[in-house]
Amino acid sequence: MTDRLDRWADPPLLVLASLADEPKHGYAITQDVAETMGVRISAGTLYAVIARLEARGLIEPLESDDRRRPYRITAAGAEVLAQESERMSKVASVARERLRIRLGWAGA
Amino acid sequence: MSGTVDPGRPRDPGHQGPPRRRASLLARPFLARPFLTRIALALYPPSWRARYGDEVLMLVEDSGGRLREVASVAWRALPAWLCPPRHLHDRSARMRSSLGTALLSWSMLAGLGLVFAQLTQLQGLTAPGHPEVSWAYAVFDVALAVSALVAGLGGLPLWLLMLRRARREQRTRDLAYLLLPVAGPVVYVAGLAVTARLAGGPQGVSPAGFAGLALAGFAAAAISAAGPGLALRRLRPRGPALRLAATAAGVSAAVTAVAATAIAVAITGLCLAQRHVAGYVSPVLVIYLVPVAAAATVTVVSAARGARAARAARAEA
Repeated sequence: MTDRLDRWADPPLLVLASLADEPKHGYAITQDVAETMGVRISAGTLYAVIARLEARGLIEPLESDDRRRPYRITAAGAEVLAQESERMSKVASVARERLRIRLGWAGA
Repeated sequence: MSGTVDPGRPRDPGHQGPPRRRASLLARPFLARPFLTRIALALYPPSWRARYGDEVLMLVEDSGGRLREVASVAWRALPAWLCPPRHLHDRSARMRSSLGTALLSWSMLAGLGLVFAQLTQLQGLTAPGHPEVSWAYAVFDVALAVSALVAGLGGLPLWLLMLRRARREQRTRDLAYLLLPVAGPVVYVAGLAVTARLAGGPQGVSPAGFAGLALAGFAAAAISAAGPGLALRRLRPRGPALRLAATAAGVSAAVTAVAATAIAVAITGLCLAQRHVAGYVSPVLVIYLVPVAAAATVTVVSAARGARAARAARAEA
């Protein structure tokens, strides 16, 4: 059950979401994800995700003179992120509605 | 998470990192030095390391160089080998590299298996009441022969292709490398015959002499197998012959895994049934399993990666 709940913090989605507004390098991504989404991504996990996303054409590296290479989301990556966001939004909406009926949850 | 301003999220994301920490060494948590990160990165495939290594080094440094960051880098090396990112693939290079490694480890495995099978069988080590041990020897013989045949037939076109090119371009060194699989065994067998004639008595060679000859055999096998690997690296062949050789190596490695399993069965059977016979004790035989398992693993993993690259290259062609 815990594993399934962890799917909400799927690192590829977190990275795509972090890059949705502007290009960022590795350290900036980890800081942004930690501060805005409350999830800590380790260096090993981040670059495993970056390699996978780059292989699928969802992000692309930008030229840099520094060793901190920035990445930006591609059109395909933005589309995937939009679809996943929509799906998660629907799930969240259903969950909120049902919790409201069942528990009178004020957060709905 | 933390409420501090994020210095690592600049408008110009490529040129700004976090502020450098100036706390004294004692005031900081235990920090990993960059060499530990380099060691962790050394666990990755070369293509991955070349593409992302510098960036990971910078990220670990920017994150404070904590050991848990280094550990996470090391931990992720295994998936990088098992599922290497597609955009880093140079399929021909993968096939060449896998072929060279698989050939070397296969020759070691074949040598280990042959020495074990010959030594134990010649000394009459049997396991009464355990027919699976004699079956294991038979399975090993057949599997090794099939494996060698498949690898030989599949690799022959590539070998001939490289040989022709080396002759045409008068690449003497590559020609020598390519002829090592033929010259190595011939020289070894000739040396063996001469040694047996000069040093062998009615009881054969001494145990020390046998160990020396066995080691020389392994050295000859390694040199013979390394030759084509070096030629592959220098001549960089591509195309159908390379794909055929990589596919054949994959099939050969699968059969070799059967041979290695048979040896493991024979060793286990002898350990259970033949304790303290003919100078052997169980731990010695069990220790023999370690290099057999290591060589079999390297052979199968390398050949599987080469065969996978060949399949992908064929699909792309």
